[in-house]
Amino acid sequence: MTLQQPALPATAVATRPAWHRDRGRLFQEIGMLAPAVALLTIFLIVPFLLSFWTAMTNQPLVPRPTPVRFIGFTNFLRIFKDDLFWTSLWNVSRFTFWILPVQCGLAFATALLLHQKLPFRNFFRGLFFLPAITSMVVVCVIWGTLFQYPTGPLNQVIGFLSGGRIQPIDWLGDPNWAMFSIVLLSAWQAYGFQMIVYLAGLQGIPDELYDAARIDGANAFQRFWHVTMPGLRPTHVFVLVITTIQAFKLYTQVAILTQGGPKSSTETVVHYMVRTGFEEQKLGYASAVSVILFVIVLIIALVQRQLLRRFDV
Amino acid sequence: MMGKRLLSMFVASAALGIVMSHAEAKTVIHVMHQGDPGWVTTYGEVAKRFEAANPDVDIELIYAPHDAYNEKFSAAVMSKQMPDVMELDAPFLANYVWSGYLQPIKPLIDQDILDDMTESNVAQGTYPIDKDLYAVGLTDSSVVLYGNRKYLEAIGARIPKGVDDAWTREEFEGYLEKLSKLEGVKWPIDTFRGYGIKTEWITYAYGPILQSAGCDLIDRKTWKSVGTLDSDPCVDTLAMMQQWVKNGWVVPQSSGTNQFFAEGHPAALAFGGHWFYAEAAASMKDDIVVMPLPKFGPKGASPNGTWIWGITTASEHPDIAGKFLSFMLKDKQYRDYAKNDSAYPGLKSFAADSPLYSAGGPMAVAFEQASKTAIARPPHPAYPTITSAFMQAVDEIFNGGDVKAALTAAAEKIDTDIEENDGYPPFDEQQ
Repeated sequence: MTLQQPALPATAVATRPAWHRDRGRLFQEIGMLAPAVALLTIFLIVPFLLSFWTAMTNQPLVPRPTPVRFIGFTNFLRIFKDDLFWTSLWNVSRFTFWILPVQCGLAFATALLLHQKLPFRNFFRGLFFLPAITSMVVVCVIWGTLFQYPTGPLNQVIGFLSGGRIQPIDWLGDPNWAMFSIVLLSAWQAYGFQMIVYLAGLQGIPDELYDAARIDGANAFQRFWHVTMPGLRPTHVFVLVITTIQAFKLYTQVAILTQGGPKSSTETVVHYMVRTGFEEQKLGYASAVSVILFVIVLIIALVQRQLLRRFDV
Repeated sequence: MMGKRLLSMFVASAALGIVMSHAEAKTVIHVMHQGDPGWVTTYGEVAKRFEAANPDVDIELIYAPHDAYNEKFSAAVMSKQMPDVMELDAPFLANYVWSGYLQPIKPLIDQDILDDMTESNVAQGTYPIDKDLYAVGLTDSSVVLYGNRKYLEAIGARIPKGVDDAWTREEFEGYLEKLSKLEGVKWPIDTFRGYGIKTEWITYAYGPILQSAGCDLIDRKTWKSVGTLDSDPCVDTLAMMQQWVKNGWVVPQSSGTNQFFAEGHPAALAFGGHWFYAEAAASMKDDIVVMPLPKFGPKGASPNGTWIWGITTASEHPDIAGKFLSFMLKDKQYRDYAKNDSAYPGLKSFAADSPLYSAGGPMAVAFEQASKTAIARPPHPAYPTITSAFMQAVDEIFNGGDVKAALTAAAEKIDTDIEENDGYPPFDEQQ
């Protein structure tokens, strides 16, 4: 492709041969790296290794009179045999599949809109970002009221607009609707973040490219397709990966609104982990779930990167 | 290097915190509790009065929300910040005592309070292995069947006079069917699905229905769930409730918990806790009828147990903790608040004080159940898993899942948990 991002920052060039040239700078660099490495080790690497170790034991949440034992992969085998785990995995996959187009599409569309030179542009940018800075807990409580069955506001609006032809929907109580309802409110709450990322991406595309395209006679759609879209490639990758990872960690909405029900239709992997770890107090088992979740998210992130790299860059 | 320094900084600041809190030279008693805002205020006032009477003691209340109480307590245990006094939900007592968190409470509480406890109150605070008392409370609880007088008269329903002539299953189901066809009734019954599927409600309120039908969550002699929870009476009973839901007779989970007394009175009956009386009676006035729970099989059964108070093994001043508990349980304003909240008496003197529950009172039937049909939830350390598994099965069943399969899965999950913990000795020897 001809239209590349602006040149990489200068540091990328400087680091390559550094340690060959100057031993003194090597220590300096190690010294500068040390704090970050130490913090990452303490707060990320060690906990991860610990959770992997815990996953191999029957460690209870709180100390108990029975001994803690090393039980190998028993926890993992139990998880794979538990239908509820597979249900929860299927549910987050469904959630991800729906939320990606809804949330990213909404974010992209509003970003395009707010990138135009409209009056009160900054005011609207703030307004559209408001849900994202509202606590998810608050959003859930409010939407819980909107979703009420059969006389909640949402059902009344639908009933009014359809002249009573559409029966009230049990948004959170019907196994067929519950996950979709969670998708709706999640997308509404969180799209602001992706919107800001897209706005930043849009602003990073140099105006000269649009001017050049105009001189070449490109119409608005062609400018969008051949200038905006390629210019947003890294942004798309980032947004997609981040949204997918967030979607797989779905928990708050479910914990507040449905507790995994009805009929386990909104059980998610993280909710399953909390349920087994905190309610049933099986920390070893819950750790095994977290290790599995980590592996799944890692694989998805790697696959997404590879796919997008192959098709685009 | 950096890590160590950070760590030592944390340690230093934590140590400083401990030193500071001891600087006042007062004995600090940490009290962990849950409750609605009114209760929280009441506890705060009791604490103030106790401090006024005992100037060398500082009562520090730690609030944890009801729905996540056990999780919060576990977190406190793990971070070695156990309170001195804790409120606990009665069915979790066996788990806490078995894990070594609670100490026998008899030597620490005033004798007149111990003598004042009702049988059901003693039962909910007793650990089955050593038969010792580990917790005490002012209150207890029960569930009754509330009815709308107008609807019941319209279908000509028989109104039971006491626990002994409670409705049978056939009568009950017949009335539900009639009510479903009655003008003005949107749902024949509210079983309070609106409390959600994670609160204790399901196990607490629906468990006795199983016991009434002749089965249980777990066999209380062998402590095995397979063969009991998935037995025919249990499958049959939950299939019956599933059918009610399918018929549209039960208030859906997402319709809240006020349909019995909401505008137009859409729900005709309410399978509700004693605490529901205060809010329902306020708007229903004379139209509210309080009836015993129906008999679903050979015998009647009703829930009991509530949030009671224990003293932890971590307490450095168990005697002062006990003194505070005795003070609170006798506190006049505390009792008045409980009475106004239509709290269910767990102390005899409090029952005598509560016109609501005394003979001839509107909730007398509820109190009658305590001595005739009340059955505690299984006092076993595996209770957290028992209740979690059962709640999940009920959610599956109420939403149309296969009854037998759901109960089998729950029973197996419970038995697996017990096996994983080597049978929770010495519970495995208690045949």
